[in-house]
Amino acid sequence: MFLRMIKGILTRQWKKMLMIAFTIALGASLASAMLSVMLDVGDKVNQELKTYGANITVVPKENSVLNELYEVEGSGGTGAYLKEDELGKIKTIFWAFNIVDFTPFLDTSATLDDGSEVQIVGSWFDHHMELPTGESLDAGIVSLRSWWELKEGSWLDEQRDGDSADCAMIGVKLAEKLGVSAGSTLHVKGAAAEKDLKIVGIYDAGGSEDEQIYIPLNTAQALADLDGCVDKIEVSALTTPENELSERAAKDPSSLTVAQMETWTCTAYASSICYQIQEVITDSVASPVRQVADSEGAILEKTQLLMILITVLSLIGAALGICNLVTASVMERSQEIGLMKAIGAQNVSVTLMLLTEIFITSLVGGTVGFFAGFGFAQIIGRTVFCSAVSLKPMVVPIVAVLVVAVTMIGSIPAVRMLTRLRPTEVLHGR
Amino acid sequence: MSLLELKNVSKIYGELHALDDVSLKVEKGEWVSIMGPSGSGKSTMMNIIGCMDKPSLGEVLLDGVDISKENKKNLTTIRRDKIGLIFQQFHLVPYLTAVENVMLAQYYHSMPDEKEALEALERVGLADRAKHLPSQLSGGEQQRVCVARALINYPEIILADEPTGNLDEANEEIVVDLFHKLHSEGTTLIVVTHDPEVAEVAQRTLVLRSGKLHKEKINENFTGKIHFND
Ligand SMILES: Nc1ncnc2c1ncn2[C@@H]1O[C@H](COP(=O)(O)OP(=O)(O)OP(=O)(O)O)[C@@H](O)[C@H]1O
Ligand SMILES: [Mg+2]
Repeated sequence: MFLRMIKGILTRQWKKMLMIAFTIALGASLASAMLSVMLDVGDKVNQELKTYGANITVVPKENSVLNELYEVEGSGGTGAYLKEDELGKIKTIFWAFNIVDFTPFLDTSATLDDGSEVQIVGSWFDHHMELPTGESLDAGIVSLRSWWELKEGSWLDEQRDGDSADCAMIGVKLAEKLGVSAGSTLHVKGAAAEKDLKIVGIYDAGGSEDEQIYIPLNTAQALADLDGCVDKIEVSALTTPENELSERAAKDPSSLTVAQMETWTCTAYASSICYQIQEVITDSVASPVRQVADSEGAILEKTQLLMILITVLSLIGAALGICNLVTASVMERSQEIGLMKAIGAQNVSVTLMLLTEIFITSLVGGTVGFFAGFGFAQIIGRTVFCSAVSLKPMVVPIVAVLVVAVTMIGSIPAVRMLTRLRPTEVLHGR
Repeated sequence: MSLLELKNVSKIYGELHALDDVSLKVEKGEWVSIMGPSGSGKSTMMNIIGCMDKPSLGEVLLDGVDISKENKKNLTTIRRDKIGLIFQQFHLVPYLTAVENVMLAQYYHSMPDEKEALEALERVGLADRAKHLPSQLSGGEQQRVCVARALINYPEIILADEPTGNLDEANEEIVVDLFHKLHSEGTTLIVVTHDPEVAEVAQRTLVLRSGKLHKEKINENFTGKIHFND
């Protein structure tokens, strides 16, 4: 009988319930969109920010000390270098999966035919690497300098056999100064060797790099006679925003208690990732690029805060809407409810009926809203973060719980009204 | 012992005495009419007898139980078990069919039984309308569904508050005939009406005036059949 009543109201008065379902769908769609984006956005924002460069740099210990003392940029021929063959180890640390990309750099200089000196940087472009773990990785400035704008030619392709070692990319300002274009050849004379560099591409980086030449790392090492040497590694890692603990740890890891140490190493703080990188790269100092690392965390936090706010507000809105609609519906049906009570229905059974109705309605509305919201999340993902938002399984139960909670909370006033309703008040036309 | 006994019952709303010191007895199987001008307290009395309201003063004994002392939940139970209600405005659940409306009373009472509900509809002559929604039934048919609903749980008393107020003569007759059938089966009937012809069919007519029992009239030549004198 109970089912027949529910069926009766849902099939014969579905128009009234439709409005409630619609309100719930609206709330649920916003909530699930925001939650989907929010749970996915950590990665998305990081990937977004990664395009603005590395967030950790690794330099030789001695250079780092010098830099700190004299505040000079770059490595000034102190003779300290990192070892190229240790690079793969970066992908073996505990936080390996958070390491998105890394690239070594070797600054050197060479003289041109006309006697002028140019800065040449050796690096990876799209370097393919077999890791000690058995995995392989493609890393390099193609992705780490993705904001470089190609003015002419193409990116240097390291995978191309044979001649790639002699290829180079040149900054737009330097290219202008020297009057070279893609395809021209440049004769350079380094400390140890001479080379004819074939310009394959001209880039616009919008900075000092526009006056440099980028060549494959090994070529630079040959020019400067620094086999296997690297003077800087840039690492792009996904990090957790820093807090008090991570800052203390970054200053002095030994000041932490064992438990704190554990939390610290088990959280992807930029500082703990740095610490672990230092342990695998001999005589190195890894430090977060403060600005980027911090703003990443801050933006992430703010975005998530905003989304939580939107979710909460939309749920409150939905609760108020439901509250209104359900109360109105109880008012409209007061005679029928009074009658049920008059012919023997106890409060519980009438309440149960109302809640079941609303529950089913909210289930329908919630499901529709969930899928609508997921579609909405895709739109947000595409337009704001330029990638699809993946469906986190966690969103389903969270949205379900929220929808049920919101509808039940929204129904409270109606239920109160319903239990207080006295049959005499509605049944006799006085 | 009488089935129903009111002892000095008053219902007071502020200054207004909707019922004022009413005492009355109704025996099992009796058919009683209640008349009186508008506002004289007829519905108030029916609500109290029907366990939907409590008197301000006095005692109401229904089957030996003082219902003026019971709590709301128990009153609902007593009403469910002992009383069948019929209203002037029918009050059917709009999204349930005729038979489902009858079954609703069974559902709250014990167990819905479609076969029994259909039999009840057959008694009121609506077997062929069982699957219709209230909106698809005429007023008279709706009231007959209400009668079927009121009698489905074999109540001790059927309380009807102006059951024929919204019906034409033909339907009035059908309903009164149904009451006659119920009465002859031993059901106690209390019927509020403005219509003297409906009141006269009963064995006894009580007249209320401003909350007081004004007059009591025994119908000597009781037949239980309505007779229109026009
Ligand atoms: N809840 C209430 N609050 C205040 N006054 C009430 C209430 N219920 C009834 N009354 C008053 O009590 C008096 C009796 O009302 P009641 O409904 O019993 O009259 P009635 O005899 O059924 O009239 P009618 O024939 O018009 O149905 C009326 O004056 C009415 O205004
Ligand atoms: Mg009345």
